[in-house]
This record gives sequence, structure tokens and C-alpha cells, in this order.
Amino acid sequence: MISKKNLINLISVTLSVLITVLIVFVFLLILGKDPFEIFGMIFSEVFADGYGIGQTLFKATPLIFISCGLAVCFHASLFNIGAEGQLNAGSFVIALTALKLDFLPVPIVILISLIFGFIVSGFFGIIPAYIKIKKDVSEVITTIMMNFVILALVNFFLLDFFAVESTMRTEKINEDLMFLKISDVLPFFDGSTLNSSFILAILAAVLTYLFIYKTGFGYKLRSVGFNELASKYLGIRTNGVILISFFIGAGITAFAGMNYIFGYKGFYEFGFSNNIGFTAIAVTLLAKNNPIGIIFSSLLFAILDYGGLSVNQLIPKELMLVVQGIIILSLLAVDKIVSNYFKEKLI
Amino acid sequence: MDLITSVISLGFVAQVLRLMTPFYLGASAANFSERGGVINISVEGFMNLSAFSFAVISILTGNITAGFILAVLINLLFSVVFGYFTVSLKINQIVTGVGFNLFIAGLTKFLLVYIFSSSSNTPRFEGLPEFTLFSSIPFFGLFLTDYITLFCFLLIFISAYILFKTRFGLRLRSAGENPAAGESLGIKIRNYRYYGILICGFLSSLAGIWMASNQNSYSDGMIAGRGYIALAAMIIGKWKPVNIFFACLMFSAFEAFEISLQITGSDIPSQLIQMLPYFITILVLIGFIGKTKPPAADGVPY
Repeated sequence: MISKKNLINLISVTLSVLITVLIVFVFLLILGKDPFEIFGMIFSEVFADGYGIGQTLFKATPLIFISCGLAVCFHASLFNIGAEGQLNAGSFVIALTALKLDFLPVPIVILISLIFGFIVSGFFGIIPAYIKIKKDVSEVITTIMMNFVILALVNFFLLDFFAVESTMRTEKINEDLMFLKISDVLPFFDGSTLNSSFILAILAAVLTYLFIYKTGFGYKLRSVGFNELASKYLGIRTNGVILISFFIGAGITAFAGMNYIFGYKGFYEFGFSNNIGFTAIAVTLLAKNNPIGIIFSSLLFAILDYGGLSVNQLIPKELMLVVQGIIILSLLAVDKIVSNYFKEKLI
Repeated sequence: MDLITSVISLGFVAQVLRLMTPFYLGASAANFSERGGVINISVEGFMNLSAFSFAVISILTGNITAGFILAVLINLLFSVVFGYFTVSLKINQIVTGVGFNLFIAGLTKFLLVYIFSSSSNTPRFEGLPEFTLFSSIPFFGLFLTDYITLFCFLLIFISAYILFKTRFGLRLRSAGENPAAGESLGIKIRNYRYYGILICGFLSSLAGIWMASNQNSYSDGMIAGRGYIALAAMIIGKWKPVNIFFACLMFSAFEAFEISLQITGSDIPSQLIQMLPYFITILVLIGFIGKTKPPAADGVPY
């Protein structure tokens, strides 16, 4: 059964995607390009073969993780825009732990690395939460400042202590630690770097969904997000909820590094994230903060990302950044207009 | 020249006062918007947009005046759209602000590559004409070197006067403090919120233009969080023009200190020097201010 709220959400999401496509079409026409050719190339590149599909799923993997983390924050009305920094700190620590502990059995190394990464990313989420609680300063300002601080710190520790000479990356982790490539099992994806992180990402989305909608803490979290003052009168310790949600939300973003480190390269490299922490904001908003929706909106953005590379000689791939921005803005406007419309007509 | 002598010199003080320009313009811009009850996180994006459009239009037309006027107009146009989202549609102001920031960041990145085939910066161009009236006066000649900086210092008094001594300022503040009471007295609250946003767009355009003119080019990411630091300065300055001035002074002092560190080549690693302004901002927000008290209806759609 689809509830009325979900139906309205579905309508506004579909409408805003259509409006975005329309705006981008006009924009391309103004620039003197053929939009049909460009969009055609994007989709034919992605769906041409197993490799294209595999690469698209590979690109969707970190987006799903980060967006799940953001969804936890957004549900508590915490507008975390510091994922870019948080995920880099966590991923860096994941790689370091895996390097230092490789004398332990494989599953334990992976587990400990992921836990350490989670804790470090989460810690950097605690700071803006603390400032919000104690000083009432918007987390938007502090998470952005934290991005600059964290990236500088990671860069400093990486280059001065851990990097392979004249590179921006750590050493390679033990080959045994590498995740299974999906193409080893399903030859359809031959050549693609898609790995078992993708399955974990889907699992993470389901778990995040259950966490937000089906647990006691998830209820408190949504309650605080909906109305902080009323939650306080209900006896919910709102400050604690804000701290914990920010910790968990920021912590999950660390897993974005899993795909790259365990699934692809075997090391942490500075700049691997390439502003994906900001793309995830668009992904999460488009999914209306619903972790299951996030899987689909991540796929959409992964298509744009991977397909964008193939049209790069026709139009700079930065076009996809414009598309992201337009999606967010049209979603905000359409959402409001649609929900106002239904309020007047149906209620 | 070692660090100590470079920091206590008169030139350093002048540097601090000059570097304050984008901070104060940005903070003042945000202040007008928030006094009218609209949180404007997208000061960062608006600064970025005007720096970009000023540089690009100046280069393409070869006419600085055209670049200046069009950059201001483009910012005003975006401000109207921002106002439509936040005031007319009553969409969450913070989400809208972040959306505008991401959209503008993407748009400038794309157009930079599209027009100049460079993902980093535009070619160099002549910035705004110098302001020479004070150049022979000892200390003032060191930092009052362009019209925007001059205007920025006057703005401290102008904005205090407008906000607290004029009818316009009173009505604007009523839109931010108690819109229902203002409305009952016949003030068109929504119009005043639009005015606040438009002033914000105008002042942030000056901040961006100053940045591009000062650097004689536009480079990707050149605003580097200054818009957000300006917001922090506004909060630390408790939404009061003169207090904001001192908060901005603090941030520009740290930026000037950072530049001195880089020039004198100290032992401190460069990454740690670069993160100084942001780190200081966090520290100040954690430690040195009390609980902040924004205008009562700040962020509340009306």
C-alpha cells in the first residue's frame, strides 16, 4: 500500500526530475548543443553493456552510504553539510587501521577498521552538534568550517607521516583484505570494479531505514526533527538525541571509503572523494530522506556521473554539477507547490 | 624579515584593515537579510557568483564598468529568486541557501571550463581603478586603496544608521523580530523581507567583486568559505554593525597572520597554516561567545 504522503512525495520527485531535464534541455540549447545527442550518449554509455552498468553501480555505492548518514542527520533537522570532511577522516583511518593491523585474521581487521573509521567520522560530527546545542550556532556554518579543518589535517598527517613518497596516497593494504569483485561471480560485469561493497551499501540502506522508522531512538530522532520544543516537553532528551544522531550520521559517511579502499584501489588517496559529500546532499534531498529512496536516487546520480564522463568531449563534465544544483532547487520549489496544492484540493 | 617584525609593523595593521573588506561586506549583507528575518546561508554562493560574473564579463567585454554593473545586477536577480523561494514559497531558508550555494558552485565551475577551457582560473585582467585621494596620507593610504574598501568602512556607520535610526530600519527589524505585530500595524512584511534579501545580494556582490579585483582574476574556490566566516562574524557580533566590525577585524587579523607565516617561511607545515582561519572560527564559536540570540523571527517563514 502506498500512503497518501508517499504518493505526494513520488509525484513531486518525478515532477522535479522532469522540470530539471527541461531546464537542462533549454540550457543546452542556449549553449548551442544538441540535448538529445548528449542525453542519448549518457544513457547508451551506461546501458551499453555489463561494464557500464557495473561501473554505474560502483559509483552509486559510496553515494548510498553517505546519503544514509545524511538521512539520519536530516531526519533530526540537522543539516549536515560536512560529509566531505567527515568521510575523508573516516576513510583515512580505515586505510591506516587496515595497514597497521594486518597481522590479525582478515574478518577482524576489516571489522575493526570499519569501526575505527566510523568512530573518527562520528567524532568530527560531534563538534558541530556540540556547538549547536551549547551556542545555538547553525550546524551549516560549523560543518563547512570543519570540512576545511579536517581536509587540512588529513592532508598534513598523510603527507608528513603515511604517504608513499611523492604521491598523495597511503601504502597498499594486504591483498587478502580486498573485497570480492562481483565480476568474479557474475561474468556479465566483466572488467568493472563493482565489488561486494555494493551489497553492503544496500544492506546499510535497509538497516538505516529500519533504524529511522522502526526503532525507539529513530522515533525520538524524527520527533526532535519535527518539533524540538514539543519533544522536550514529551520528556525526550533532545540534546542527547542531537549529539547521537550527528555521531551516527557522520559515522556512516566513513563507509564511503570502503568501496575505494577494500573494493577498488587498496589504499586511501587524498581527493578520492571528489566532492561526493556534496553530491550526497542532492541525493538525500531527492530521496526525501528515505534510505530506500536513496538507493534509487544514488543510481540516478551515478548514471549522470558515469555518463557525464562519456560526453566530456561534447560538453564539460561539470555540467553534472549544474544538474545537481537545479535538481535541488526545483525539488524544493515543486515540493512546496505540490503539497500546497494537495492541502487545498484534498483536505 | 622575521615573523615578529612583520606582524608588529604598520603594514600589517593596514593589511588587516584591507583584508577585512570581504568579511565585513559579507557579514553586513547577511545581517540585513537576517534582521529582516531571513537566514541567508548563501552569502558564500552570492560572493562566488559576483566574483565570477565580474571577472568573466570584464574579460569578455574588456569593460570593467560593464563587469561591475552586470555582476551586481546578476546578484540582484538571484536574490529575487532566493526571495521567491524563502519569502513567497516559504521554503526552509537553510536548505534553500545550501541549494543556492551548490547550484552556484556548479554553475561557475561549469562555465569556467566551458568559456576558458580551464578548471582552475580565468586569465588575468585589470581590477577596479585605484582610489588615490588618500594615497599620500601616511597610514590611511596603505589600506584605503580602492573604492569598495572605502565604502566598506563607511558602511559600518551607514548600516548602523539605517538599521536603528530610520523608519526603513525599524520596519525591517520588525519583519525579523515580530512579523505579526508589524503586519498588524500595516507594514508589508513580505516586501521588507525582500528588501533585506536584495540589500544582502547587493553587499555580497561588492564582496565578491572586491575579491576578484584584488586577485586580478577569478579562480575556482577562491571565496574559500569567507562567506561562512562572515556569517560566523555576524553571529559573534550579535547582529550589531559595530560589533560585527570587530569580529571581522579578528578574522582578518588571523588571515593576515596566516599570510605573514607563509611569507616568512616558518617551520609550521603549510596545511596547518591554511586551516588557521577555519580552526579559529570553530574555537571562537566553542569558547568565547555566550549563547547567541538572533532576531526572534529569524528563519521563520511568514
